[in-house]
Amino acid sequence: MGQNGELFKPDAMEEKGERARMASFIGAMAIADLVKSTLGPKGMDKILQSTGRGHSVTVTNDGATILKSLHVDNPAAKVLVDISKVQDDEVGDGTTSVVVLAGELLREAEKLVALKIHPMTIIAGYRMAAECARNALEAGVRNHKDDLERFRSDLVNIAMTTLSSKILSQDKVHFANLAVDAVLRLKGSSNMESIQIIKKCGGALKDSFLDEGFILDKKIGVGQPKRIENAKILVANTAMDTDKVKIYGARVRVDAMSKVAEIEAAEKIKMKNKVEKIVAHGINCFVNRQLIYNYPEELFADAGIMAIEHADFDGIERLALVTGGEITSTFNDPENVKLGHCKLIEEIMIGEDRLIHFSGVALGEACTIVLRGASSHVLDEAERSLHDALCVLVATVQDSRVIWGGGWPEFLMARRVEELGRKTPGKKSLAIDAFATALRAIPTTIADNAGLDSADLVSQLRAAHSEDGSRAGIDVISGEVGDMEKLGIYEAFKVKQAVLLSATEASEMILRVDEIIKCAPRQREDRM
Amino acid sequence: MPGPTMAGSKTEKYVDTKRKDDIRYANMVAAKAVADAVRTSLGPRGMDKMLSTATGDVIITNDGATILDKMEVVQPAAKMLVELSKSQDIVAGDGTTTVVVLAGALLKQCLNLLGKGVHPTTISEALHKASEKAVEVIKSMAIPVELTDQDQLVKIASTSLNSKVVSQYSSLLAPLAVDAVLNVRDLDRPESVDLRDIKVLRKLGGTVDDTEMVKGLVFDHKASHTAGGPTRIENAKIGLIQFQISPPKTDIEQSVIVSDYTQMDRILKEERNYILGMIKKIRATGCNVLLVQKSILRDAVTDLSLHYLAKAKILVIKDVEREDIEFISKTLNCLPIANIEHFRVEKLGYADLVEEVPVGNGRVVKVTGIKNMGRTVSIIVRGSNALVLDEAARSLHDALCVIRCLVNERFLIAGGGAPEIEVSRQLGIWSRSLHGMESYCVRAFADAMEVIPFTLAENAGLNPIAIVTELRNRHANGEVNTGINVRKGQITNILEENVVQPLLVSTSALSLATECVRMILKIDDIVSTR
Repeated sequence: MGQNGELFKPDAMEEKGERARMASFIGAMAIADLVKSTLGPKGMDKILQSTGRGHSVTVTNDGATILKSLHVDNPAAKVLVDISKVQDDEVGDGTTSVVVLAGELLREAEKLVALKIHPMTIIAGYRMAAECARNALEAGVRNHKDDLERFRSDLVNIAMTTLSSKILSQDKVHFANLAVDAVLRLKGSSNMESIQIIKKCGGALKDSFLDEGFILDKKIGVGQPKRIENAKILVANTAMDTDKVKIYGARVRVDAMSKVAEIEAAEKIKMKNKVEKIVAHGINCFVNRQLIYNYPEELFADAGIMAIEHADFDGIERLALVTGGEITSTFNDPENVKLGHCKLIEEIMIGEDRLIHFSGVALGEACTIVLRGASSHVLDEAERSLHDALCVLVATVQDSRVIWGGGWPEFLMARRVEELGRKTPGKKSLAIDAFATALRAIPTTIADNAGLDSADLVSQLRAAHSEDGSRAGIDVISGEVGDMEKLGIYEAFKVKQAVLLSATEASEMILRVDEIIKCAPRQREDRM
Repeated sequence: MPGPTMAGSKTEKYVDTKRKDDIRYANMVAAKAVADAVRTSLGPRGMDKMLSTATGDVIITNDGATILDKMEVVQPAAKMLVELSKSQDIVAGDGTTTVVVLAGALLKQCLNLLGKGVHPTTISEALHKASEKAVEVIKSMAIPVELTDQDQLVKIASTSLNSKVVSQYSSLLAPLAVDAVLNVRDLDRPESVDLRDIKVLRKLGGTVDDTEMVKGLVFDHKASHTAGGPTRIENAKIGLIQFQISPPKTDIEQSVIVSDYTQMDRILKEERNYILGMIKKIRATGCNVLLVQKSILRDAVTDLSLHYLAKAKILVIKDVEREDIEFISKTLNCLPIANIEHFRVEKLGYADLVEEVPVGNGRVVKVTGIKNMGRTVSIIVRGSNALVLDEAARSLHDALCVIRCLVNERFLIAGGGAPEIEVSRQLGIWSRSLHGMESYCVRAFADAMEVIPFTLAENAGLNPIAIVTELRNRHANGEVNTGINVRKGQITNILEENVVQPLLVSTSALSLATECVRMILKIDDIVSTR
């Protein structure tokens, strides 16, 4: 550290050249290896144990969730965590694949670097290979956008493929249809907000259902109607207690108890006026984000209005969206307030809990998926899985190109890339070959995770793919090479493309690094 | 020197695959340990556990969910078993021990299978298939039950109560539970019962024998005595108020300025008049029982107002919690009143009798003969000490849940290990028609099912091997309803002995336990996170 002492702060670290590259390779591969075992339909789960308070436990198979919550110190590993996050935001699925592919690309690059090939040459080769792979992928797509029935079956197949690697795999037919129905209701819009997911402990996973309309996990005030038809809903965010003088230290001086009583009465009247103004909107349902106190609640009950208090922020925003209303906070102008509408509001019971159900809402796209499951772990994981499926479906609705799954695209791309490698003269061809090897690592991992003989399977698949128009992929269930079309294993083109491109980019970025400078950590008082 | 080594330790965090097997093994062993801890409390001759909590409280219980809940385990996989028992509690309310014991047995079989090199996902899938088949088998054994058949319902509640400390009182508690649930059943929604409509009150003193159900309302507070108010009112007109009978207090900060002695007198008088005015308005409606909601901002009632209320012969119950308001208004068929100006006759509730009665060392107020009473009931549980009392309340809750299960799904099956043996037998036969690993795993599942009769026999002090083998034999001869009769210590037709349980309890225990085991099987790593 001696010579650094003058340049950097005492605790700062600097790593150069070969060392730096090794550090980032190792870090990135360690991350890839960590999530590797979750890949594919027979992938394993991880327990995430929080070291924070409560030691809460999460069980998950979702790459993005695992990586998001890791303690990562290695800068290259952080890059991989980031691409997984981006993949999650962009397309929602393939979060594990992208990390595994990037890891494999780096593993291959490491070998090439050991052969004294310049990183820039590797990068150039990778770029060419990625371009070629993308073209190959694009050539292999099918598009059923115009044929509604086939498009739907494509969607169901995609959803099933996504779900088969998750906790929902046993009930994947049920959930795939559920997710497709929900996404098709959106009618092409990508507004995931109108799909609401409610988790309720109890029951089995297959008791989950899709409900048109909106469900609010709240209670209706005492003595108010529990069922309203043709509801006019006012969604508000307003304090229902008396408007307080906000200036600090403001106080009223009086000289008699009766005056105090008068002030109290005046405050009550103010409240009452507010309620009257709200009632003047001609509504029969009032939803407030803040508390509605006893007195206004009673006034609402007298007016025969259903008043729902303390709805969470998310809830009212969504409610305003789906019922077509606006969130209001002043009530002086009843004409210009947009009210929400729905056909029926009623109380329903799910498990042991009472919830409020809004059906026939203005925004036809809206729907609610109620998830049931044995424990909160199951429910959380089910929500994550379903979210992935929904994301993929939304992406597919927008870009309706689909491809086969089960390692099919990887082999197709690997074959084209290899052909390119044969034609390319110079050291770049080594990098291109390496790219093809890395692509094949994904099906290899899937086979390994399923406990199959990956070497045998991969060589068989490779042979099968030497013919044009092959539909061969890994059939994990029977452990053999199978026809992906017959098995209905489909994937969204958009997801695969994103995996390919961002993994290549990330590995490129890490390859370019030749020096890591770590700044001195900020000192904290309570450091051990 | 320090530079490179530090960097090395931080970057080279390569996880060896060998560790993964260890983690899976460790998880399963931990989860199994949890299951073993509650194993001895299964069945009518099951033992109780004494738990001493972190705060020093002592709990004696036989209820699986409660034991696990208080154990405070930290191992993540073990925690999942605790969750499992909680889920069973939510779904069925009973069978919380069974579900954990079953999961433990399944885990034991899985460890064997893993040792033989079967892939975890293969086991997981086979378990799922086996559990579906098992549920089918149990359903085929089910006998429909009519809710009008009170005797049958009482028998089922007794089976649930027989495994508890309070088993000797099952003849009292079982009909009580049945009555309570049938009373709150919503006729519009015949499939569901909301147990929150049954209010269970615990009162120390007396014995469990003194437990009673009140068709009406019971308050755990005594009526206000400070000013000698009435404690018994016939033909009560009850007002439920959410405002306060005390000197006014505004939201805005205020101060009353008193400049001399005479003014002080005047203010005191004004205060008196103010309260008197309120009470007059209340009195004018004929109200003679007042339920006052607790207020955190100011006194709900003051000594002064209590005095005047007592003079007006109004019985006052103070400190009613806001959460209880809905229950009370539903029961009394009255509306809560939040402002004195709204105090009108139509918002009052009516009852024949409101009376303060001594129960044990405390007093409660009973409201009976309520006009147009809502579908709620109250139960006062009694017990000679706090431990018995709590356990009695828990057992009663289980019994209530059992009846609720029957309302949800109107089928019952034999108890005493009969369904488990039958499932084991049929799955054994089925496994022979399967191929490969699947067959092997289903066979293991079938073996795991025998844990229930095995443990039942063991806990009853019988010879488990002799009992289980004989049971197998009887079932093979087509006597599907033979089970262990723990009381007689032999094998009999368990239906004739009236040992029956709701179908829902068994099916949900089976599917939940399988789901949980499958989840544990699929875990191959524990990652610590922020």
